[in-house]
Amino acid sequence: MDFHLSEEHRLIQETVRTFASTEILPIAAELDQQARFPKEIIQRASELGLLGMMVPPEYGGAGLDTISYLIAIEEIARACAGTAVILSVNNSLVCDPILRYGTEAQKRRYLPDLAQGRKLGCYCLTEPEAGSDAASIQTVAREEGDEWVLTGTKIFVTNGVEAEICIVYARSEPEPGARGISAFIVEKDRPGITVGKVERKLGIKASSTAEIHLEECRIPKENLLGRRGEGFRVALSTLDGGRLGIAAQAVGIARACLEESIAYARERRQFGQPIASFQAIRWWIADMATRIEAARLLMYRAASLRDRGRPYTKEASIAKLFASETAMWAAHKAVQIHGGYGYIQDYPAERHFRDAKITEIYEGTSEIQRLVIARHVLGVRS
Amino acid sequence: MATILVIAPAYEGHVGRTSLELLGGARRIGEARGMEVVAALLGKGAGAAASQMWQYGVKRVYVADHPSILLGELEAFYLASLEACRAANPGVVLLLADSVGREVGPRLAHRLGGGIVTECIDVQAGQDGEVTFLRPVYGGKAIATYRLVNFPVVVTVKPHTMEVPAEMPVSGETIPLELSMDPEGLKTRVLEVVSEEVTGVKLEDAPVVVGGGRGIGGPEGFQLLGELARLLKGAVGASRPPADAGWVPPTWQIGQTGKTIRPDLYIAVGISGATQHIAGVSGAKVVVAINKDPEAPIFKVAHLGVVADYRKVIPPLIQKIKEIVGT
Amino acid sequence: MEIVVCLKQIVDPEIPASEFRLDPVTKRQIRGSHALVISTYDENALEVALQLKEKQGGKVTAVTIGEEQATEALRKALAMGADSAVLISDPPLLEADDLGKARVLARAIRKLTTPDLILCGCESADWVSRIVGPFLAEELGLPCVTFGTRIEPRDGKIVVRRIVEDGYHLVEAALPAVVTIASDETNTPRLPKVRDIMAAVKKPITLLRMADLGIEPGSLKEMEGRIVLQDVAIPVREARCEFIEGDTPEEQAERLVLRLKELKVI
Repeated sequence: MDFHLSEEHRLIQETVRTFASTEILPIAAELDQQARFPKEIIQRASELGLLGMMVPPEYGGAGLDTISYLIAIEEIARACAGTAVILSVNNSLVCDPILRYGTEAQKRRYLPDLAQGRKLGCYCLTEPEAGSDAASIQTVAREEGDEWVLTGTKIFVTNGVEAEICIVYARSEPEPGARGISAFIVEKDRPGITVGKVERKLGIKASSTAEIHLEECRIPKENLLGRRGEGFRVALSTLDGGRLGIAAQAVGIARACLEESIAYARERRQFGQPIASFQAIRWWIADMATRIEAARLLMYRAASLRDRGRPYTKEASIAKLFASETAMWAAHKAVQIHGGYGYIQDYPAERHFRDAKITEIYEGTSEIQRLVIARHVLGVRS
Repeated sequence: MATILVIAPAYEGHVGRTSLELLGGARRIGEARGMEVVAALLGKGAGAAASQMWQYGVKRVYVADHPSILLGELEAFYLASLEACRAANPGVVLLLADSVGREVGPRLAHRLGGGIVTECIDVQAGQDGEVTFLRPVYGGKAIATYRLVNFPVVVTVKPHTMEVPAEMPVSGETIPLELSMDPEGLKTRVLEVVSEEVTGVKLEDAPVVVGGGRGIGGPEGFQLLGELARLLKGAVGASRPPADAGWVPPTWQIGQTGKTIRPDLYIAVGISGATQHIAGVSGAKVVVAINKDPEAPIFKVAHLGVVADYRKVIPPLIQKIKEIVGT
Repeated sequence: MEIVVCLKQIVDPEIPASEFRLDPVTKRQIRGSHALVISTYDENALEVALQLKEKQGGKVTAVTIGEEQATEALRKALAMGADSAVLISDPPLLEADDLGKARVLARAIRKLTTPDLILCGCESADWVSRIVGPFLAEELGLPCVTFGTRIEPRDGKIVVRRIVEDGYHLVEAALPAVVTIASDETNTPRLPKVRDIMAAVKKPITLLRMADLGIEPGSLKEMEGRIVLQDVAIPVREARCEFIEGDTPEEQAERLVLRLKELKVI
């Protein structure tokens, strides 16, 4: 067992850290306050190869392993959690299923654009009546000649506004529940697909979250991703990888909380001494550091299983659960350490607090993660 | 008997005041070791400056007056320096650690056997004849002390770190250096000298300096700093990020890599306070830091601190100075 | 154009002063858990080299003296666009002074290639001595220009923009030459693309030992015959900052002016 990052891991960390601290961090507060999509940052990120990190070079990607990917997402999230999720979605939820389930033609057609930032992707699973219970989606795909015709409404779609390539899950088979679902690749410029309401959110405001409406949207047959009726499997296995991306985002947010808290606690003086000399503050900081370290190791462990082609569903859920709860806890403490200054927008603790919460919700709530973990640990199917 | 040799450019008979600072250090070593301080003035028309050296007690002044030794022609300067060393038999050679000395000093030292201390900020000479040189290392986070063991050595001295010594007029002599320099044989030549226009007072000489850092955010913000500086009859400088980003000319840079300043008042605006920068302002009498980040390390070295956005506090500051101090 | 860039791997110079520690025996910084990076201006030098290559064609070789872990600095250089990388590593080299290092670099450069141009950073961000570049020029018997920020090839020579106190000089130098590089807005080091990092990991790094260069350990510390590093100490700063408080910027401004007047500096 080797707990050292390799040379390439360290170089990727150094590169992305420099990118994040010099180009993202200075505008992170502005992106948050204006809820602005960081077009220029995504452009730069694509030049550096951060849009299709795990896509092999033959499809225009960088060919990184999962640990490298998580290192990169953590560094981006340290600066701006909203930017991190834009990248995480494109990498984990869009490139990854095309890479694993797509035909050769689909890979050649979509991956170079996605990996090189010419087109952004989004993942359309959740519906108003189907959140944690994703198998109950109602969007329908009807077969008509050489085409599939999709109708339904997807909500909470990250990158929904900017994305041009959508992975859409819809009910194509008569079987109820999970077995009736297929996955499709839908280009946003097809007639019948439109962006609906754009949500106003608590945090991660640099990324858009939107409704996607499909109204008799016709796509060619070859846009089916994976086999008919296997869409739910595509969705769940994709989410395993996605959860690692969110774990990395959470670790990045938690690290931001820790670093801001350390700096503040050292400088802020009360009762004639820096508040870092008070035991209550020290314990919180020690606990933050401990939990972050643990969360990072959990996600690296899951990533290492993934890179070896081993099952990692349980480990991904454990990492995501622990990392997201660490982020929320650390954000809570960071605001408390900052006192009144933690509550105002002049300091970043307030932004981290708002950003942290989503990590406990999306790509499977903490409750769903516990469900997944418990099933594995207890050895039961449901 | 080995000498202490001060080498200075003297184009058209002009010796910079900072070169005179070298005489202070030279005299200290000379007195401790019982060695004579001599000088070499290099440059076209250098001879006219010899009397300035006599004024400070330097009797023997070597002069290399050669048409090739012009501003920026450092290869010619270097060859003339070598000739001066041959003639003066120096134990210690002192040069300024400026754009001339930083290039010529090490090359000269290499020819003389490799002994050199660069970027020296202080020379100490004990009663027992022990001579030590101090210089900042690790970007100003530490100070290194070097002990002189054997002659000859070259020492380059950071400008504005030593005092010009008291005058001590003597009647001296000039010794012309015979140079066998072939201008055609020089491998470098200056095509163009571009000096930035300095409006008002020079950064190094200004009693008040307003410095801007990364927090200024762009070239526009420096106009506001310029307004404040003009009002205080001072100059504007910068830390490294604005210079690297091209917001200000590189000549404005203050710090280990840039200029060393010793103003009465230094106002650091939007400067985080990297030791690299601090190394250049440690001679300031009063340091004021204006930064919206209360955690910025600059507050550790500042005497007065204002935690505020400079855009909000500089305009009223200009106003109040006009009201309270007058213009 | 054949270009050699000399790099040095150092402990991250951006760490706060409060985390800086010295080893009293070696008189060197204790690395602790801090990252190792390429010394600041060496990266600018590499950037200048890469831009020249892009304009002129040619080949860029990165050379460093260091421990085995210095391969990481070379990997970064390769990822940024260097064509080949050379690590000169041997335990006695850790003790080498600037003269020793210049000799080792000169031998290595002569052995490996016949460069048109050799670039170094204008100073290392740790010892800031600014010596190795000019020493290297002397060792190789080449012309030297220090503190250049831009290099233009012109008629088989180069024109270097050398920054000076009050502006800059355009200095023409015959090739081959040694130029030390300072930073400006045209030579901000590029970030390597992650894909190129992956490719760099697979590229070979040439390893040279002292024996390969015919260097005797005794020749690495000759400067000590003249000058000895006696002590390195962390200076104590005592200034305690007096914060000027106020409910509005106007109030802060007024109090500051009054305080400065009291101190007789305005």
